[in-house]
Amino acid sequence: MKHCLIVDDSRVVRTVAGRIVKDLSFTVSEAAHGAEALEICRKNMPDAILLDWNMPVMNGLDFLRALRREDRGNDPIVVFCTNENDSEHISEAIRAGANEYIMKPFDAEIVESKFAEVGLV
Amino acid sequence: MQESTFNELADLALRTTGQHIPVSKSYLMEARLSSISRRENFATLDDLVHCLKARPNQRFEQEIAAALTSKRTHFFREREQLEFIVSHALPQRLKQSKNGRLRVWCAGVSTGQDAWSLAMRLREEVGSPLASADIEIVGTDISTECVETGTEGTYGHYEVQKGLSIHRLMTNFTRGSSGDWTINKDLRENVQFRRHNLLHPAQDLGSFDLILCTHVISQLAQPAQQDVLTNIARQLLPGGYLYASPTEQIEGILKTIKPSRDMRGAYVRDTAKPDTAAA
Repeated sequence: MKHCLIVDDSRVVRTVAGRIVKDLSFTVSEAAHGAEALEICRKNMPDAILLDWNMPVMNGLDFLRALRREDRGNDPIVVFCTNENDSEHISEAIRAGANEYIMKPFDAEIVESKFAEVGLV
Repeated sequence: MQESTFNELADLALRTTGQHIPVSKSYLMEARLSSISRRENFATLDDLVHCLKARPNQRFEQEIAAALTSKRTHFFREREQLEFIVSHALPQRLKQSKNGRLRVWCAGVSTGQDAWSLAMRLREEVGSPLASADIEIVGTDISTECVETGTEGTYGHYEVQKGLSIHRLMTNFTRGSSGDWTINKDLRENVQFRRHNLLHPAQDLGSFDLILCTHVISQLAQPAQQDVLTNIARQLLPGGYLYASPTEQIEGILKTIKPSRDMRGAYVRDTAKPDTAAA
């Protein structure tokens, strides 16, 4: 089974996204901010990361830049999942190494469609 | 909804669009007519039908029939088929073309996503012979509202996230202040949308090298399937392709088209049958 790390400071979003991703046959782990996510990645690099932008301690963009500098840090498919829905934020995320981008609010169909775009399902 | 109301609406859909709505899908009527019903201040569909019978209004009937058709679609819906069209069908037609012009008809295109998906995919053919070809895409639908949406090319938050990669979104759309996304001007040059009822002859639209009619035929009652396919096939140029969804069984409905050996869901005119000569 593929492993997806869900990084979001909202427990509700982590729970909802976790259910959707489990239905797509992933095992799921969770982190509430970028620093916690980076620790998890160093121990067990996931196949996919669903990543919020605005979080305390370390935001999603800083996490992504740090992740891509890590050993095997280019392996995970990173899908941003955020309220930052304007073109400037999307471009910045892609430049930092994001593979896909989900604009909140989202539903199961959107997550599946975006995961399909990057070959995760 | 009373049984008589369902029967009246199902009959209207069958007469006007050829669509067969079984009793098991009566809930679809409630959903698809809710906005019209609200706009016209009808408390129930029974009231709406009662009014239609008391004061027949052909324009309103057509609007209701169009609203009853399925609008379900998304970008890059038949991805494998689209790739085949871009990599094989259109290049093959281009080789046969004397003036470098090709015409594609997306029949029953709903809110336009199939037409725009093809336009986006063609734009990615940098360096291929298709890049310099003059390819016109005509999308038609029975619903005026759908034609307006396709023409405007503006789609909401959910629509642009289904079937569309973030790279294609950023390349081909611009985000408006309302948060909706609109197709860029450079993609619009060769794409147009027109209102057309597939039950009617389509000579006005001209002839086409390729016709996409996906997820339409399977929604229709049997006699309407034959009428629609006859009208469509008449607009197909010799050597052109008709595409249905690969999951739709249209083989045998019309004797004048036959399955193509090239791909499942693709059909060609049977040249031995003169009935489908292009108008």
